[in-house]
Amino acid sequence: MASLLQPERVVYLVRGEKKIRAPLSLLYFCRYCSELRSLECVSHEVDSHYCPSCLENMPSAEMCQLFDCPCCMHTLSTRATNIPAPLPDDPTKTTMKKAYYLACGFCRWTSRDVGMADKSVASGGWQEPENPHTQRINKLIEYYQPLAHREKQERDRKKLARRRQGMPLAFSQHTIHVVEKYGLGTRLQRQRPGGPLSSLAGLTLKEGEDQKEITIEPAQALDEVEPLPEDCYTRPVDLPEVTTLRQRLLQPDFQPANASQLHPRHKHLLMKRSLRCRKCEHNLSKPEFNPTSIKFKIQLVAVSYIPEVRIMSIPNLRCMKESQVLLTLTNPVENITHVTLTSCDEEDPDDINSSAKVLVPSKELVLAGKDAAADYDELAEPQDFQDDPDVVAFRKSNKIGFFIKVIPQKEGDADVTVSFKIRHDFRNLAAPIRPSEEGGEGTAEAIWLTHHVELRLGPLAS
Amino acid sequence: VSHKTHKGQIVKIAAGAVVCVESEIRGDVTIGPRTVVHPKARIIAEAGPIVIGEGNLIEEQALIINSYPENITPDSEVEPKTMTIGVNNVFEVGCTSQALKIGDNNVIESKAEVGRNVILTSGCIIGAFCRVNTCEVIPENTVIYGSGCMRRVQTERPQVKIPCFFKYSSIFSSSIESTGTLLHSF
Repeated sequence: MASLLQPERVVYLVRGEKKIRAPLSLLYFCRYCSELRSLECVSHEVDSHYCPSCLENMPSAEMCQLFDCPCCMHTLSTRATNIPAPLPDDPTKTTMKKAYYLACGFCRWTSRDVGMADKSVASGGWQEPENPHTQRINKLIEYYQPLAHREKQERDRKKLARRRQGMPLAFSQHTIHVVEKYGLGTRLQRQRPGGPLSSLAGLTLKEGEDQKEITIEPAQALDEVEPLPEDCYTRPVDLPEVTTLRQRLLQPDFQPANASQLHPRHKHLLMKRSLRCRKCEHNLSKPEFNPTSIKFKIQLVAVSYIPEVRIMSIPNLRCMKESQVLLTLTNPVENITHVTLTSCDEEDPDDINSSAKVLVPSKELVLAGKDAAADYDELAEPQDFQDDPDVVAFRKSNKIGFFIKVIPQKEGDADVTVSFKIRHDFRNLAAPIRPSEEGGEGTAEAIWLTHHVELRLGPLAS
Repeated sequence: VSHKTHKGQIVKIAAGAVVCVESEIRGDVTIGPRTVVHPKARIIAEAGPIVIGEGNLIEEQALIINSYPENITPDSEVEPKTMTIGVNNVFEVGCTSQALKIGDNNVIESKAEVGRNVILTSGCIIGAFCRVNTCEVIPENTVIYGSGCMRRVQTERPQVKIPCFFKYSSIFSSSIESTGTLLHSF
């Protein structure tokens, strides 16, 4: 049953600013704080932008030369045709000249459909239509940007007045995380010299100096609106000509209602981002700069540090009857890991979703280390762990299968959920190795981590 | 035009058509000149004859079948209906066509399926993997694309692939010695 292997069946609890339950494959592990982190408790920083089809790095200001089909959002390709054109020297003779137009291979849209003339150069030369409102919007942004900046400085000043003098560093980190309205994004702001740090020095706003007053005309409300055309209700709808909502809303500055006004858009760039733990400011994930590479320079994902629980088989579950569920536990690290499972207490505040009682094995489970050469080494010594056959079903290199007993409590339950705590030892290889007192080789200290795990076992057997 | 009887059925292949012997042609089938039928294509006339016009391109594993509708058994009295296919159509790899009437210059892309009650006019393009099972006449120059079978009308017709015919006939005739593909050309 492949559905049992789906990652959403087993979720781990992350105790961050918000309590988040997510499968282990989506979580990160900060080995400096020794805690699980989810995407919501890390800060995201943009590393670079790249075009998804030509896989080229783009400085963030530039736009890619490729276009998207406005009809089906695929990448447009440039096609060439030969058209007869008069020679510049001798208007009576015609010669074949190459003309280029954009075409979509998926929905057969071409740039000639919207009346865009063919260009004589293969790339470049495609103009975007002018938006009549651009000027007004630019003026509004110019007017509001200094206002927002002033507002933010006021807010920072009030916060600083309440704190003590000795904490300027923590303060500046906080303001970096607060994104400025109408601003360019936190990374570019940090690079600008006139940022929040300079305002700390003076603690007064430099009003009047260097600030030119920009005035704009307020928007005017009109009493008379253009009336609807008379045949608005009676004219039959020309379906191929009407744009779909998706096509319309992908161009928010024009929102054309007719397909003959759908112009191609510049291809949107994707970004590579790096993740940083908010508490200790260490990087949790840092991808390679090259867009063609999928590797990471730093990859502190949870599946490489925390033992993973997966459901292997579920028998028929019946209300108030005990059944044995087979789970697997995989050890991702190279040293032996000891795992203890405990069921949740009655008054556990984390235990909100479980709808069945669970009896977990009381003995400690030992997992062998992950041996990368185990697949190739046929003469490996068999592991000698004294396994209780009632608890451990099988053992295979760094994985064991074990039983838990589940007693569903609710009649007609659509999704039986159980939860328990898993406690394992973690050796922090990032910490410096302290020499042991006997003078021999020191090993990293083991600390014990506890995680709250919830399993969704599916409906009761009818 | 030559007649070839095979298990009591008649297949008429016009002069100038290129039909590979690895293709399966059963029943009363007429194939016009300059039509190319690739190996492993299947043209099956069960419930009536099939008439294929000029300049069509029927690629590998394409299936053109005039079959009985699902709720009628072969034994009951049903009048045989002729399936007509016009000129310059392209049936790409792996497509299935049961449409009784297909016009000119249509393209049925790979793994598309066209039902029996669909009538293709001209210049229509049925996109890859699209299944069209409605009971309607598809207007001219319609493009059906995407997983939801979205439709739009195209203004540009793809150019007719006349040069392809000569390319295929030269490929097939040159491959007789190398791969042993047998060729019928009358």
